[in-house]
Amino acid sequence: MPSNGHNGHAAEAVVLTQAQVQEDLQEKHERSRGQTFRVAVGLFSVLLVLGIIGFILRVVDGVSDTAKWGYYAAAFAFVLSTAGAAPMVAIAPRIAKAHWPRPISRSAELFSIVGLFNLLVFIPLLWVLPPLEQGRRTLWFFGSVGEPVPNYSPHIWATLAMLALVVVGVLLVWMSALPDIAALRDRLPQGTRKQKMYAWLARGWKGTSAQWFMQKHRLGILGAFYFAMLIFLHFLISVDFLMTLVPGWIDALYPATHVANALQGGVASVMLTMVIMRQWGGYKNEIGLDQFWGLGKLLFALSLLWIWFFFSSFIIFWFGKKPNEVSVIELFIKGPYLPIFYAEFVLTFFFPLVFMIWNPIRKSIWGPTILSIAVLAGTFFGRIRMYVASYSVADQSALHAIETVPATVMPGIADVFIVLGVIGGSILTYLLASRIIPIMSIWEKKEMLMYEVHRPLHRIHVRILGKPD
Amino acid sequence: MMQTKRSIIGVFKPNRENTVADAMDALKAGGYTEDTEYEVLTGTPYPEGVFGENEPKHALFRYPLIGAACGFIVGLVLTSGTQLAYPLVTGGKPILSIPPMAIIMYEGTMLGAILFTVLGIIIESRLPRLFMGAYDERITEGWIGVTVTTSEDRIAKAEDILNKAGADDLKRGWEKS
Amino acid sequence: MQEHVQLNSKEVNDILLKDVLGMPKWWLPAVLFFLVVFLAGGAAFGYMLNKGVGVTGLNRPVMWGFFMVNFVFWIGISHAGIMISAILRLTQAEWRRPLTRAAEVLTVFSLTSALMAAPLVHVGRPWRAALWVFPYDFERGVWPNVRSAFVWDPSAVMTYLTASTLFVIIALLPDLAIIRDRTTGTAHKVYSLLCLGWRGTPRQWKLQAVAGILLSALVLPVFVSVHSIVSWDFAVQVGVEGWHSTIFAPYFIIGAIHSGVSAVATVMVLMVWLYKWQKILTPDHLDAIGRLLIIVATIWFFAFFLEWVFALYTLEDPELALRELQVFKHPWMALFIVFLITAYFFPVPMWMFKKVRRNMFWMFVTTISVNIGMWLERFLIIVLGLARRQAFTFDWGTYHPSMIEILMVIATFAWVMFGMLVFAKVFPLIPLFDIKEGMVGGPHKIKIGRKEIPASIHE
Repeated sequence: MPSNGHNGHAAEAVVLTQAQVQEDLQEKHERSRGQTFRVAVGLFSVLLVLGIIGFILRVVDGVSDTAKWGYYAAAFAFVLSTAGAAPMVAIAPRIAKAHWPRPISRSAELFSIVGLFNLLVFIPLLWVLPPLEQGRRTLWFFGSVGEPVPNYSPHIWATLAMLALVVVGVLLVWMSALPDIAALRDRLPQGTRKQKMYAWLARGWKGTSAQWFMQKHRLGILGAFYFAMLIFLHFLISVDFLMTLVPGWIDALYPATHVANALQGGVASVMLTMVIMRQWGGYKNEIGLDQFWGLGKLLFALSLLWIWFFFSSFIIFWFGKKPNEVSVIELFIKGPYLPIFYAEFVLTFFFPLVFMIWNPIRKSIWGPTILSIAVLAGTFFGRIRMYVASYSVADQSALHAIETVPATVMPGIADVFIVLGVIGGSILTYLLASRIIPIMSIWEKKEMLMYEVHRPLHRIHVRILGKPD
Repeated sequence: MMQTKRSIIGVFKPNRENTVADAMDALKAGGYTEDTEYEVLTGTPYPEGVFGENEPKHALFRYPLIGAACGFIVGLVLTSGTQLAYPLVTGGKPILSIPPMAIIMYEGTMLGAILFTVLGIIIESRLPRLFMGAYDERITEGWIGVTVTTSEDRIAKAEDILNKAGADDLKRGWEKS
Repeated sequence: MQEHVQLNSKEVNDILLKDVLGMPKWWLPAVLFFLVVFLAGGAAFGYMLNKGVGVTGLNRPVMWGFFMVNFVFWIGISHAGIMISAILRLTQAEWRRPLTRAAEVLTVFSLTSALMAAPLVHVGRPWRAALWVFPYDFERGVWPNVRSAFVWDPSAVMTYLTASTLFVIIALLPDLAIIRDRTTGTAHKVYSLLCLGWRGTPRQWKLQAVAGILLSALVLPVFVSVHSIVSWDFAVQVGVEGWHSTIFAPYFIIGAIHSGVSAVATVMVLMVWLYKWQKILTPDHLDAIGRLLIIVATIWFFAFFLEWVFALYTLEDPELALRELQVFKHPWMALFIVFLITAYFFPVPMWMFKKVRRNMFWMFVTTISVNIGMWLERFLIIVLGLARRQAFTFDWGTYHPSMIEILMVIATFAWVMFGMLVFAKVFPLIPLFDIKEGMVGGPHKIKIGRKEIPASIHE
């Protein structure tokens, strides 16, 4: 039974006109370069510089010892898992024709720009990952099938997939922002450099029905393609850049787990971005309970997915008890990274579970906020656990199982710098991108005005949502 | 204390929701209390508050928690108890193997939660109801009923109010409480 | 939804209760037919009890045959109900309304079918199964081994059966009241008792709504656990290499959803054909379910892909031998090709076309095809896994189902049809109150310029 809007949408909704929304959001976009923004940019630039220093410190030691690069790989994977998956928050509900993500869809898509930065982070890993001839088990059946595959197959395919994902992502956010870019083009004084840039970016957008028709289809197709590429890339990274380094780790579910963890991290990233936009970006009226409620539910569901995937893998290994399975459990769970595993378990699953079953917490702003921070931290620990452990395995070419489980690799100062730098650089990229492209989709907000109507129904007001075909 | 109460129902044709809401208001103004004395009966789940009625309060959310706790405990006792009572090592697994116990305890927890929720739904809906009181079959056909169940001396006034409010039909009945 | 049909309460009652209060001509012969087929299966079971499991085609090394395949298949179908009803309820999808109950009822009957297939028939001596599952042997102090997947399985299936049955019953209450008000005599008395004195107060409606959400949220995790645990019946052990894979739980679940949602679509079409409910079940509903199926099928295919990739990734001889058997050896090769085509490569491209998704006949054909494919999938996993055609195998056997097994498998299909038809005679197969709720205050439309867009009330 739909309620009469106790959450307050129905009764006191202020209905704006399309022109008001346009004016308001454009003004907010321009205002976003305030003091806070500059401080943030400064801070994250410093982190990026630290990261570069850390990277130089690492490179001095060379790339031949994978154990030294575990934290670097983990930082890369963390950004891939959060920023890379965040656009799905815009893509999936668009396919389902849901209205609630409209105010946050752009902030989700904008994360795909971070992919450009992560692409740079990825490059050194190509040197770190040993070639196939070294003799490890591989996805490419190197040496097992008649015609030998290229020695650098993992490197080649992952790079191509990474490139494809980034290109599709950038196209996605660009195409999605076309109408807003065109609006900025029309608003800025003619002939300025900025206006020229927007004029170029707008690709002659005029808003004809044909262009709008194309827009809808383009977004659908690019979105579907982005998702497919995301899954494919996670498959390649999680196997070629992770699983093959650990002899005897044969986990058919793990690529799916890697994506699921990434979706969890992506949703949490968008949620945190929402909080920041609301609190410091001046978007208090636009982002409300609807969005937190929608994403909060999703995040909760993904937490449950986490435990299901984890347990599905774990029980097979635990029950099977083959030597390779015992050593995999030892390496990732019971052994050197037990505290990190506990942290991940609590932050990504246990805490969300006991926290989110309470209605008042779930239907609030602060509840999902705390949850998103916990999940992000948990995802981070998860990536550290898997990547650092895998990269520290010495006998990568052992046939059946790890002979000795390596000891815990503690982060050195270079690792700390690298992790801070990669995260800082990603956020910096995002902030800079948000200066060019409005962080809130103006046209989607305006479109919403047409489909949402508040009507009286006897003694109450109800909110009626239209679903266009 | 068994006490017979009178009850009366005024039924309104479909699409007369506003009239029903007015009738509810009139009853309230007449000094009757909602839920305990008068209620609206519909054959369709209307959005809450359409007739100006109160939002029903319930404590359903407690039930699954209690049920889950019970189920969890039963699962724990059952799995650990049977393993300890018959400590036969199978497949090199320890006695008190936590992963398999977790599976059965999980099922127990969920079963407990669901059983208690169903119980809770029935109890909180005030079902089963042994005495229907005044009722009209047309309600499940879209008509809307306003029923008043009260003491003998207050029933006539209620009937009067419902009549004045424009009820299309009136029926009388009785109820024990 | 482009075609929003607006009906009043009485019209909804008339359409949906027509065959509960009356009886269509074909109903009795159909029910009798399915009953006879079911009883034939029962007779086969009796024969097997008398003669022993030797009358089946089960022999070393393939000791799990048609019964287990059928068990997994029906568990899979049973995932339809909760998938459709719980997930769509939680996401407040409008198009769920006419589908929920049929899907839930399908769950209940297919679960009972699954129980018949495995614990009852397959174990040969069903009375002993109780001893392995229930902790009741107080005299000897021999308790079930909770470390065995065969104890996890019944605990999950029983929980699921209980939960989904209660789910159906709770959501039936308001509709039972409608029937109560339309019957007289004994029937009236029975329905009065069954509906527990439902009157339709705001409190009762509120609880009904909360129950829908809360029970969905509670049943959903059970639903996930059930097929996961069924998959662990196979996957946890190391003896059969082809089964020992971590992807099994998600693979089985998504496969179950694939076949289950397809079965719901089949049932939908049958409901329109048999009961003429085209005003309630429109092509829009089929369209929505078709789109859902494309996504589900593709995720399933991804899981299938992972299962295969990692089977080859092991580079273990038994694993490779199994894959070779599945793909290259007669007659399994033919089955494998049929499986791939029917489960994915025929239906999914078809669903890409809007015309197919909105066409009753084609949706019927494609969804039936999916279930043929999914039945074969289980067969190829279970039977060929056990055949162990590899080096140093002691038993070089194969498997031919006997007539007894075939009869019993057919009987489970007859049982589900019989159950659904009987249910539909006694209770409405489409929740009337849910349909009515979707029409409150309607038809809701939003007018933009010259176009009217269908809309619905949202929380």
